[in-house]
Amino acid sequence: MHRSRANGVRLAAASIIGTMAVLTMLSVVGATGAAATSTTTTTTSTTTTTTTTTTTPASRPVPPSAHPTTRFNSGTPNSTIRIFNSKGQLIQYGNQFVRYTLPASSLIPYGEALYSVNCSACHGADANGHPAAGTPGGPYPDLLGLGPATYSFWINSGRMPAAQTPDVQAVRRNPKLSPYQASAVAAYINSLQPATPYVPVVNLNGASLSDGAQLFSLNCAACHTITGDGDALAWNTYAPSLRHVPAQQVAEALRTGPGNMPVFTGNLTDRQLRDVVAYVTEKIQHPQNPGGLGLGGLGPVGEGFIGLALGVGLLALVGFWVGDRT
Amino acid sequence: MTGERPLEHRSPVELKAASWSDPHMQPAAKHPRFVERIIALTFIAGLALFALFVVAYWQNWSAWTLGATMGAGMLFIGFGLVAWGKYLMPRGPFVEERHDLASSKEEVEAFTNALVERGGGTLQRRRVLGGLLAAGLGVFSLGTISLLVRSLGPLPKLTLTETDWKAGTYLVDQAGRRVTAGQLSVGSVLTVFPEGFQNTDNGQAVDQTILIRVKDTSFTTVEGRSTWAPLGYVAYSKLCTHLGCPVGLYEKELKLLVCPCHQSMFDVEEGAIPTFGPAPRPLPQLPLYVDSFGFLRAQRGYDQPVGPGYWERTT
Repeated sequence: MHRSRANGVRLAAASIIGTMAVLTMLSVVGATGAAATSTTTTTTSTTTTTTTTTTTPASRPVPPSAHPTTRFNSGTPNSTIRIFNSKGQLIQYGNQFVRYTLPASSLIPYGEALYSVNCSACHGADANGHPAAGTPGGPYPDLLGLGPATYSFWINSGRMPAAQTPDVQAVRRNPKLSPYQASAVAAYINSLQPATPYVPVVNLNGASLSDGAQLFSLNCAACHTITGDGDALAWNTYAPSLRHVPAQQVAEALRTGPGNMPVFTGNLTDRQLRDVVAYVTEKIQHPQNPGGLGLGGLGPVGEGFIGLALGVGLLALVGFWVGDRT
Repeated sequence: MTGERPLEHRSPVELKAASWSDPHMQPAAKHPRFVERIIALTFIAGLALFALFVVAYWQNWSAWTLGATMGAGMLFIGFGLVAWGKYLMPRGPFVEERHDLASSKEEVEAFTNALVERGGGTLQRRRVLGGLLAAGLGVFSLGTISLLVRSLGPLPKLTLTETDWKAGTYLVDQAGRRVTAGQLSVGSVLTVFPEGFQNTDNGQAVDQTILIRVKDTSFTTVEGRSTWAPLGYVAYSKLCTHLGCPVGLYEKELKLLVCPCHQSMFDVEEGAIPTFGPAPRPLPQLPLYVDSFGFLRAQRGYDQPVGPGYWERTT
């Protein structure tokens, strides 16, 4: 009786130790595999022909940038391409990597109607953050002079219009307004105090994923983690997951810095922006997990915990069953 | 040894010839053909799955298939082995008596006599032996200490207290481009290095500095540092004062730098004093100035050691 019980315990102990060794090896292999896949794929970028088109007379007015930088081609009207309409208004700027476009001015009346229904209760009729007297809560953010990309990001990511005042930070939801309506609201608010950045459209052709991976690990991974799943930050704020963010919203977030996110204007050129967006939409959002399950991409701690709890627990039970001969 | 007694005092265990009616036999043994067929089936299943694993590997099928075939194959072989063992072996419990462990009286006496006889001559030289023993142990312990000292590696000398930041060093980014005063917009961050050291080990490890444009006007983080943050640019060592992790998480609205390892938080506007977490000291600040061409440069190096504390450190 005693002897067989002791044998069972010994077997269980041996199986636990063995399983832990195997799991450790597996997790190491998985981690290195994941790291390797993120850097190996390289797409050679197209040869860039420098086309300085549509040089503008100095008299043409260019709206001020909410995030000024002297660096050429990095998200401000200081770009290779600048297109003005017949009234002398800057309607598009950028280059072959990113085009920043002003939402059509014909949408302004529709945008005004949408604004008064969806936004003015908190942000005020003048969009300056001062609602009508007697509105609880606040102060609310001043929306003037932020540029259409900011409005487009907040509405298209479903963070605005918010159901109620966000406690810490607004969460991504199904957008309440359609992209067309978002453009209309952006056109209206921007018409109150015109500013840049305009709404970016990224041309992902010829993007370099290896450059994107390097830029991602340097600039984004600190908060959003190397797998893009997001992580907790100070005082209940957090970096959201990047898993379901469309390319345009990635670009808008980089150029405008929503909430606590730093602004990446001036430290990323439009070409680098394109590479980062390509890496996020192609690699971060379609991860290759060599081990099969990604386990949420939470890193070695989570993987080890699941391995210990499930794998070792299960094998210990098997060990007891095998060893228990009485 | 003087003992003449027989070597074995064991009480013999009755080993009965196993018969199928024996209660010690597994019930399975009563149907040997059936059991053997089951075992054979599991071995065949394991064999087939291993063969399938080889095919799967050869054909480069998915990782799931590889794992499933090999795992299930091992499971079947293991199951068969266990079942076979259980079928062959009689079922316990069995009791086997040990023989008496204590020495007999004669053996004890003989041993004592022998010890006294030999010791009479040997123990007189005990001083020499004792001395030699002490010397041996002494050399051993000295040797152990010397091994520790030998393994210490080179002295760090000035590398703990000095970085490559000197008076007038240009701030460059990862690619080696100099940073201009108009480059970053308010709320932007950039990891910067002293020019020429962006690709060196020391540059990547010790010199890395985080440049933040907190606002667009010059400001003072701590009294006495009124000129250190021109045009709202402020630069702090990126090494956490707790354990040296890169403090790269800047929260634009809270104006906090967060360390990803242990959630230390540093107030960027107040000289990076830690407001939360285990970090014991503020991040060292690099004094900046804008030169006449608009480039950002260091007024001088860090005024204190960067990174985590060490035991000679007084501040």
